[in-house]
Amino acid sequence: MRFVLRRLGFYLVAFWVSVTLNFLLPRFMPGDPVSRMLSQSQGRMTPEQIDQMRVLFGLDQRPIWQQYISYWQSIFTGDMGVSISRFPTPVTEVIASQIGWTILLGATALLIAVVIGNLLGILAAWRRGGALDSVLPPVLVFIGSFPYFWLAMGALYLFGVTLGWFPLRHAFSAGLTPSWSPEFIGDVAAHLFLPAATIVLVSIGGWMLGMRNTMIATNSEDYIVMAEAKGLRPSRVMLRYAARNATLPAVTSFGMAIGFVVGGALLTEVVFAYPGVGYQLLGAVSALDYPLMQGIFLTITAAVLMANFLVDIVYVRLDPRVRVS
Amino acid sequence: MMTPPTPSRRVRALGALALAGSLALTGCTAGGGTSAALDGTQLLQIPREDMATFTRNFNPFSPNAAPMTQQAIYEPMLVFNPNDGTTTPWLAKEWTAAPDGTSITFTVRDGVQWSDGEPFTAADVAFTFELQKEVAGGYEYLDSVTAEDESTVTFTFTTPFAPALYELGRQVIVPKHIWEGIADAALETNETPVGTGPYTEVISFQSQAFSLGKNPSYWQPDRQQIEGVQMLAFAGNDPANLATTNGETDWADQFIPDIENAFVAEDPDNRHFWFPSTDGVINWQLNTTKPPFDDVRVRKALSMAIDRESITEVAMQGYTHPADCTGLSDGYDAWRDDAVAGGCDWTDRDVEGANAILDEAGYALGADGKRTMPDGSPLTFDISVGATSSDWLSAANIIDQNLDDVGIDAQVNAPDWSAVVAGYEDGSFDTGIVWSNMEPTPYQFYRGVMSTETVKPVGEQATQNYHRFGLPEADALLAQFAASADEASQSEAIDQLQALYAENAPVVPLFPGPRWGAFNTTRFTGFPTEDNPYATLSTRSATTVLVLTTLEPVVSE
Repeated sequence: MRFVLRRLGFYLVAFWVSVTLNFLLPRFMPGDPVSRMLSQSQGRMTPEQIDQMRVLFGLDQRPIWQQYISYWQSIFTGDMGVSISRFPTPVTEVIASQIGWTILLGATALLIAVVIGNLLGILAAWRRGGALDSVLPPVLVFIGSFPYFWLAMGALYLFGVTLGWFPLRHAFSAGLTPSWSPEFIGDVAAHLFLPAATIVLVSIGGWMLGMRNTMIATNSEDYIVMAEAKGLRPSRVMLRYAARNATLPAVTSFGMAIGFVVGGALLTEVVFAYPGVGYQLLGAVSALDYPLMQGIFLTITAAVLMANFLVDIVYVRLDPRVRVS
Repeated sequence: MMTPPTPSRRVRALGALALAGSLALTGCTAGGGTSAALDGTQLLQIPREDMATFTRNFNPFSPNAAPMTQQAIYEPMLVFNPNDGTTTPWLAKEWTAAPDGTSITFTVRDGVQWSDGEPFTAADVAFTFELQKEVAGGYEYLDSVTAEDESTVTFTFTTPFAPALYELGRQVIVPKHIWEGIADAALETNETPVGTGPYTEVISFQSQAFSLGKNPSYWQPDRQQIEGVQMLAFAGNDPANLATTNGETDWADQFIPDIENAFVAEDPDNRHFWFPSTDGVINWQLNTTKPPFDDVRVRKALSMAIDRESITEVAMQGYTHPADCTGLSDGYDAWRDDAVAGGCDWTDRDVEGANAILDEAGYALGADGKRTMPDGSPLTFDISVGATSSDWLSAANIIDQNLDDVGIDAQVNAPDWSAVVAGYEDGSFDTGIVWSNMEPTPYQFYRGVMSTETVKPVGEQATQNYHRFGLPEADALLAQFAASADEASQSEAIDQLQALYAENAPVVPLFPGPRWGAFNTTRFTGFPTEDNPYATLSTRSATTVLVLTTLEPVVSE
């Protein structure tokens, strides 16, 4: 219990620091939201309209410490204010409309990459020097080192445009209404395939290599030799004795990765025109939309810290040594 | 409410289900909904490259309203077409300006109904202007708006102001009976809009696509020939261009590089583009609060040093042409004084002439081939431009190279646009590439480049006239224009303003901005073209409603 409390204290400090940074960093950027809009419209807005928008938005002109206090109040009340770049929609509504797609895409890709990557790593280490071990790691590292943008564009042109196997954009076909009908779910799955597959392709190599390396270290432990000497089935030794101990570092990375899922996959969203938080964050930053930026940063911060905290707890269960020390 | 899915949609979705279910590497066909048989009920597909997702906000007072709010749902009193300079009466059927320019009376059209069936009257017009002023300000010159009767509304001004006709005329009108019950119009998202426009009914709204259907009580039912409009969201030009070149959009106005090959070549009979140079002139502005840019000889010499031909050919891919020394865009062709345009040479490339002027003005060429200021310090400055505008950045690079020929060492400074604009606004920049005002008359343009009223001191935030140049003579001519109700005396004032501009070179004009626009006649016909320029090809301007009420669907046999 003391362990949990100590960790909790650490996370509270981390939360304060990151929330304060979220508040300060955007305000160091030059310009104000209205002049940002002006530079984006490239003269399509008249000077009169610009003045009108300053009135309309009622931009916060109070001293920065007062803004900071009301920022903390808004965090605890959950009222993140009104987005400027999507005025007058509330920030919570803007985030809520996108976060589902971000989590669907991110979690699907992460789960597939983690499960397949780790399994491949286990097998490669178990049959060290075998066909799988000598071919896959270099191939996956090679693919993983491609610029993601290029890989995704290539996949989109090949499978979407040329072969026509997959839809080119969006999370579902225009005109469909979201529902739990098989028709809609099938449509969503078809739209999810390419974006998720490209993320899996570039990330799976890391998972496989990580698992393979720890697994090799574990394989030379005495208890593996002991288990083999007892005459246990090789599959049981591989999964229950070797892999189980080798998963510990993977659990840590998995926890971190879960947190970052919430930040969205910016490039994927751009190439496949997939809805999500990543592009919204970019939009908020370039429009200097303080409320929306703070809202998204806060969501990411909270998700990363929560995921880490969960991993800490799970770790205690998985690795008794942490409890003892 | 949903309309039943069209056969194409159902087939496609079922196909996707079957294939995704069997985990085969397949899904929808790439052609999307555009390859199906056409029965006349197809929706006009329009991409928006600048919105990754849509927010359901049809509030016309909001700067972030969903696309088509000001184009298909709400309508203005008149529509000005910058391509041919014509004005189409829309909700107003006629108007008269008082001879002294201090008031305008509009007569609104009879028989117009809101989409909920209520009649549209002059009271709606008066209410809209009151609400607009309350929500966001503006129209400072407006003294009062009075609905005289059901169909007449009179605007009176505090000072004579002729350009008011177009400013008032383009304001979209909202229904009084709906908006008077809304407590805070600025915060309203107006999810189910009631307007007078041709397509007011929200058929479906998803964050990446929404569609609008016919207004059941439209005042020109014979012009609602298309069934509706579907907007598609894209996070940038590349994915939007992919959809357009793949034939999935009918009308697109984002920039498509190498459009002849990328878009037209696939199907030259149906695919067309038209880039008229009628948008605001792109200028190279010189901060006239800093020496040497306060010297008109230097401004003209710098202008003569640059090669506009290669800027338009290389940087703008040949889609526009060099500007002349009236500074006016092609959109103002009717106002242009050819005597002024043809009578000056500081917008023609002349390296020798530029060198001669700089020598004479006291910016001597040093032994190293670089010019110095009269006090001996090196003559050098930054050319600011936003990094994301690759075409303008390339123009700035050409200017930089050209300046080497006259012994000036400039540096292109290309950070994020917002940093550039922050420098323009507070007057701390040296020189930079900038847009200019494009309004129905050149009044706002000249006011923005050389009126003393728009000059803000350095350090104070300016929203126009960033180069901070003003002439009292220009103020007098602008006032003369504003006070004259007849076109003859207006155009006399504009002629003199052109001469004043040519004489003083307040900014260095580069080229008139092209208006991008491409369309595909496979599914719809009747788009504006160079031969029939009844509107621009923009999907987000005032003339968009003219296109929506002209297009006809293609019906296949």
